[in-house]
Amino acid sequence: MSELFRRIWYLIHRRRLDAELESDMEFHREMAARAGRRNFGNTLHLREQAREAWGWTWLDRLGQDLRFATRILARAPGFTLMAVLVLAIGIGVNVSAFSLFNMVALKRLPVRDPDSIVRLERRSPENQTDEVSYQSLLFYGRNAKTLSAVMGVLGVPPMEIDDDVQPTSASFVTPNYFSELGTPAAYGRLFDPTRDDWANDAAIVVLSYGLWQRRFGGESSIVGQTIHIDKKAVTVIGITPYAFASLGGQRPDIWLPIAQQPYFVEGSHVLTDSAVSSVRMWGRMGPGVTAKSAAQELLALTNELRRQHPKEIWDKEYIQIDPGGHLQVMQPDMYRIAAMVAVLTLLILAVACANLGGLLLARAVTREHEIGIRVAIGAGRGRIFRQLCTESLLLSMIGATAGLAMGYVVLRIALDRMDTPRWLSPMPDWRVMLFTFVVTLAAALFFGLAPALQIARQRQHKTIARQILVAAQVAASCVLLIVAGLLVRATHHALHSDPGFGYQQVLSIDPQLGRHGYTPAAAKAYLDQLQSRLRSTPGVRSVSLVSLPPMGHSQSSFSTDASGHSIEVYPNSVSPEFFQTMGIPLLVGRTFFAGEKNVVIVSQSFARQAWPAHDPVGQRIVNGDSSDIVIGVAGNARINAVNDDDATEEYWAAQPEDMPGMTIMASTGGAPDFLPPIAKSISENLDSRLFPEIRQLKTLYHERVSVVEQIAAIVSLIGMVAVLLAGVGIIGLVAFTVSQRTKEIAIRIALGAKRAQVLAAVLRQFAWPVAFGLVVGTGTAAAASRLLRKILFGVSNFDPAGYAAAIGVLVAIIALAALLPARRAFRLDLAKTLHFE
Amino acid sequence: MPMTIMPKSGMPPGALPMLILRVLNSGSLHGYAIAQRIHVLSSEVLAVEEGLLYPTLQKILVKGWVTADWGTSETGRKVRFYRLTPDGRKQLKAELSGYDRVTQAIQDVLRTA
Repeated sequence: MSELFRRIWYLIHRRRLDAELESDMEFHREMAARAGRRNFGNTLHLREQAREAWGWTWLDRLGQDLRFATRILARAPGFTLMAVLVLAIGIGVNVSAFSLFNMVALKRLPVRDPDSIVRLERRSPENQTDEVSYQSLLFYGRNAKTLSAVMGVLGVPPMEIDDDVQPTSASFVTPNYFSELGTPAAYGRLFDPTRDDWANDAAIVVLSYGLWQRRFGGESSIVGQTIHIDKKAVTVIGITPYAFASLGGQRPDIWLPIAQQPYFVEGSHVLTDSAVSSVRMWGRMGPGVTAKSAAQELLALTNELRRQHPKEIWDKEYIQIDPGGHLQVMQPDMYRIAAMVAVLTLLILAVACANLGGLLLARAVTREHEIGIRVAIGAGRGRIFRQLCTESLLLSMIGATAGLAMGYVVLRIALDRMDTPRWLSPMPDWRVMLFTFVVTLAAALFFGLAPALQIARQRQHKTIARQILVAAQVAASCVLLIVAGLLVRATHHALHSDPGFGYQQVLSIDPQLGRHGYTPAAAKAYLDQLQSRLRSTPGVRSVSLVSLPPMGHSQSSFSTDASGHSIEVYPNSVSPEFFQTMGIPLLVGRTFFAGEKNVVIVSQSFARQAWPAHDPVGQRIVNGDSSDIVIGVAGNARINAVNDDDATEEYWAAQPEDMPGMTIMASTGGAPDFLPPIAKSISENLDSRLFPEIRQLKTLYHERVSVVEQIAAIVSLIGMVAVLLAGVGIIGLVAFTVSQRTKEIAIRIALGAKRAQVLAAVLRQFAWPVAFGLVVGTGTAAAASRLLRKILFGVSNFDPAGYAAAIGVLVAIIALAALLPARRAFRLDLAKTLHFE
Repeated sequence: MPMTIMPKSGMPPGALPMLILRVLNSGSLHGYAIAQRIHVLSSEVLAVEEGLLYPTLQKILVKGWVTADWGTSETGRKVRFYRLTPDGRKQLKAELSGYDRVTQAIQDVLRTA
């Protein structure tokens, strides 16, 4: 260690120490001269050698190299600008993507001790849900010693404030929610676990900062006032802070104490019925507790719960523990999407680097003279190589700085446009900086290494490196273009294709009878009345019931066995008129009778998979201990998986005990906009305690599609950027090749070669790499798009039109990029060229 | 940091640092005097070149085995005198015993083989 300090001391005092060394050697020389010796070496060289012992020579050289590189780059501003631009795009795209991932999955929430917050979810080998029953939550909270706190969030449909037309988002939370997060109130107070856990106290509410501003004009006098939520009087006790960080990124505008849920949702058994899982559970691990020991304890507690409620706890159930102190609790499929985005953005970087590598190689030929002189006056290969690497690194760093700035601007704009939590900041933190640094080094290595090696060995004229770079560029742009093409097609498909059911004129009305404690009989009476009144409303065409409405809050899927095939199905329970309401054709057989048992209707895709050669009607499907007979085949309808073209449906007739969970679907003759207010008033008449959630499928569908549209737009943009980069790169390379071979071309033409032959000779060296790049790129895209399959709205991953369009565009651009500069070969002034030199 | 000293003027590789330490053991000397002393003590067999002496001295300085102080030479010039540090003394002892062992071993081989 002390040697290191001495070295640093030498570095700091190197000027003085160098002077002392010089004086020593001068003295030595004087003495030697007296003794009659005169053959001294080069003092400067000797001193340099002696200084090497201090171990800082590399720093001196680096300084020299950097100064030299700066001069070289400054002398070619056009090239430098181009290179920095290319790199800024390549690095900027990656930095933006990583920053986004960082904000979502890596940055800690600005709450108290975010590292110990965990998300707790029920899992078993067969089942999974992200919610537990309130009773289980209380049980875990009381008994888990490894958890210092258990928090719960009960999400509910939007609620009405006073007489607002537009409902407001709301959640019920355990009273320790805010205190565990260490959230201070912007005004008034937030929930206090010692005061707000009693169901019978006067109802209280906490409002979000945004709602307070929008709805209540930011008046601090609102605290203490009484407002009405779903017609229930409630006192505002406080406002959450402006930059409030909540768990799981859920930010409702109304926060209510969970103990008072029955007051707002009359007749609800959610808090007492241990069969209803509807609370999201979060925990805080005690100090020094590992996830493993917590998991063990929770497993023991789950087993204890099973003894108390054998029916409610699954076989082999356990509680899955995930880190919860980030904006998003990452699920495996989110990681898959993140990985896909990472691959795409890295491809952009690859295109940018390959492009720049080509430019550097071309430049190397013009620098041949300069490098030659440097070699001639004694610079070794290693020194030249190091110099070139320094140049690349300098370029890369300038590019990265620009890229970092670009990433910040892009995210700033994106965050402003989206409704994101206020605490999120696109400012790069140390992770983003580290990432940028690594990407910068990798980029410098990738675009600078091959040219530097070639140049240092003075093999500038070899074509193989250029060919590899062209192939890499073409392959990477090919992948990007194809993926972009598929996504554009997918969007198109999503916007203009039929999901298999009518959504333009359909309304879903979810009265949430179960949550209000309706018995099956009461639910049936209510639904019958509501349905018949809707039917008698002019303009209403068809009304029916469904347990899992399209684009609803929950989906379900399981795999079933039909004649030896395992088929993943989306199950649903429906009333007989459902197919008519939704406009789903019954292709074969008949629909149900009301409440019919042991019969199913399957989708066409199901029938095709299970009985490709037989008549599906009359076939038997065994599901555990029940066995059902197929009575009909309906058209494919992606009711619970709009994004998944492979979705397969299986329908059962709704049974009396299903009634509390049913949603009403109503289709209209014209535009359905007239119906929601009518449905609302009918419902109010039937039971004023209910606040049905009325949604238009059209709106829901367009919301879903717009997400894919945006993704497709971004990916297309990225794809086009990549193709433009590749095009510019190829223009540069071909122009360079033509200028390099001017003499040869002139001689050929002078000797009578046809212009086309000359053109072919010039371009031949690029034909193989382009073909190779296209093949590799197409193959890679085909493999990668299998991953995309599930998020593509029903487009085939081998969609020939998408591929053909992408490859066509790419080939056209490459051809254009090659022919533009190659035309120069035709305009050669033969005499002048041949007389030159 | 490995020392790379080319055999020159009959100097076995790696021996120079040890010789410098040895001649400094009896008192501080300036650079030229170190070279002279080694030359004289070796009965003029070993000549220490400038190009070898100063890099080696710098290495030893960085290692902390010697320090340099200003003094006045016999010709009245201001010059740096190199002095052994306690670390240097330890190093010298270690190198000498190591060297003895190695030469003894080489002698054994030469005598018996």
